[in-house]
Amino acid sequence: MFLEIITPSKKVFSGEITLIKLPGTKGSFEILNNHAPIISTLEEGKIKIIETNEQISFFDVPGGVVEAKNNKIIVLAESA
Amino acid sequence: MASLKEIRTRISSVKTTRQVTSAMKMVSAAKLKKAQNAILQIRPYADKLHDILASLSASLENSEESVYTRQRAPEKVLIVLISSNRGLCGAFNSNIAKTAYELASSKYARQFNSGQLDFFTVGKQGQKYLKSRKIPVSDQADEILDSLTYDNCSNLATNLMNDFVSGKYDRIELVYNQFKNAAVQICTKEQFLPVEISEEDDMSAKNSNFIYEPSKEQIVEELIPKSLKVQIFKALLDSNAAEHGARMTAMHKATDNATDLIHDLTLTFNKARQAAITNAILEVTNGAEALNG
Repeated sequence: MFLEIITPSKKVFSGEITLIKLPGTKGSFEILNNHAPIISTLEEGKIKIIETNEQISFFDVPGGVVEAKNNKIIVLAESA
Repeated sequence: MASLKEIRTRISSVKTTRQVTSAMKMVSAAKLKKAQNAILQIRPYADKLHDILASLSASLENSEESVYTRQRAPEKVLIVLISSNRGLCGAFNSNIAKTAYELASSKYARQFNSGQLDFFTVGKQGQKYLKSRKIPVSDQADEILDSLTYDNCSNLATNLMNDFVSGKYDRIELVYNQFKNAAVQICTKEQFLPVEISEEDDMSAKNSNFIYEPSKEQIVEELIPKSLKVQIFKALLDSNAAEHGARMTAMHKATDNATDLIHDLTLTFNKARQAAITNAILEVTNGAEALNG
């Protein structure tokens, strides 16, 4: 699935991933392939992603919002 | 005709001016490039945020009114005028200040005349214009233009939002130069608060069964302030890029004018020099004639 992490000052990440773990307002959750459409706000915390080449990366976010639809995920963070 | 020395001084002073204007042009060109990049970076964020908000509000049935969308009779109005701190950028500042003034004296004429309209300026030049017309400026945030970061802009936006929520103002308008290209700026008037959520009939958003966490209302509640902050940030970035574009164009024209002026002056100088030489030769030959005669 395709992920974009965007902040007001730049696009932090853009690429294919297999897993993303997000600090949602109602609790931490993961999105895998073919997840149901979801919009959620994010709390301060760490975003963990696993890219298709199995490389793991982390991003610190102070809050934001995520939208996932048709295997396309957009994370809008205030900074990362 | 001016003396040779006078013309020479004039030429050298115009040359210095040309050096200054062409250096300013270079500086503006470099800054414009940076400012343009900054806008290009913010656009995807702003667009996506707007998309999410639009699809959310489309699926909200009889939308619960948020504090930021509540329409009130515009008794107290605030106009935020975004100009620049420095001059020498053509009609950039006077155009935008005029636009703000026209907005105040047409759409909000009643509030303006009864003193219920305040101006908030970002940029010293806009403030100068209003002061020269004896219009009081209630507050300013000039220093924000020196370090244009998202954090600074979000503080400014928060202050404006608090003023709206507390009822200090019933309506807040943004007036700024939108960047089109280096030579063209568009004077833009935008209603900042209350927020007008576009009621687009986005059927796809209604049909796709989104999971909302924590809840639709709470997400909207959180996203509206965010999008307002982005709106301010975008307006400031736009204005910043437009300023550098305007200055670059103005300085380019000034450099061209100086070049023309130097050309003309050099011609005059050469003519004067030739006339002086002819005179000298005439004197010598006349003297010789007189001796021979």
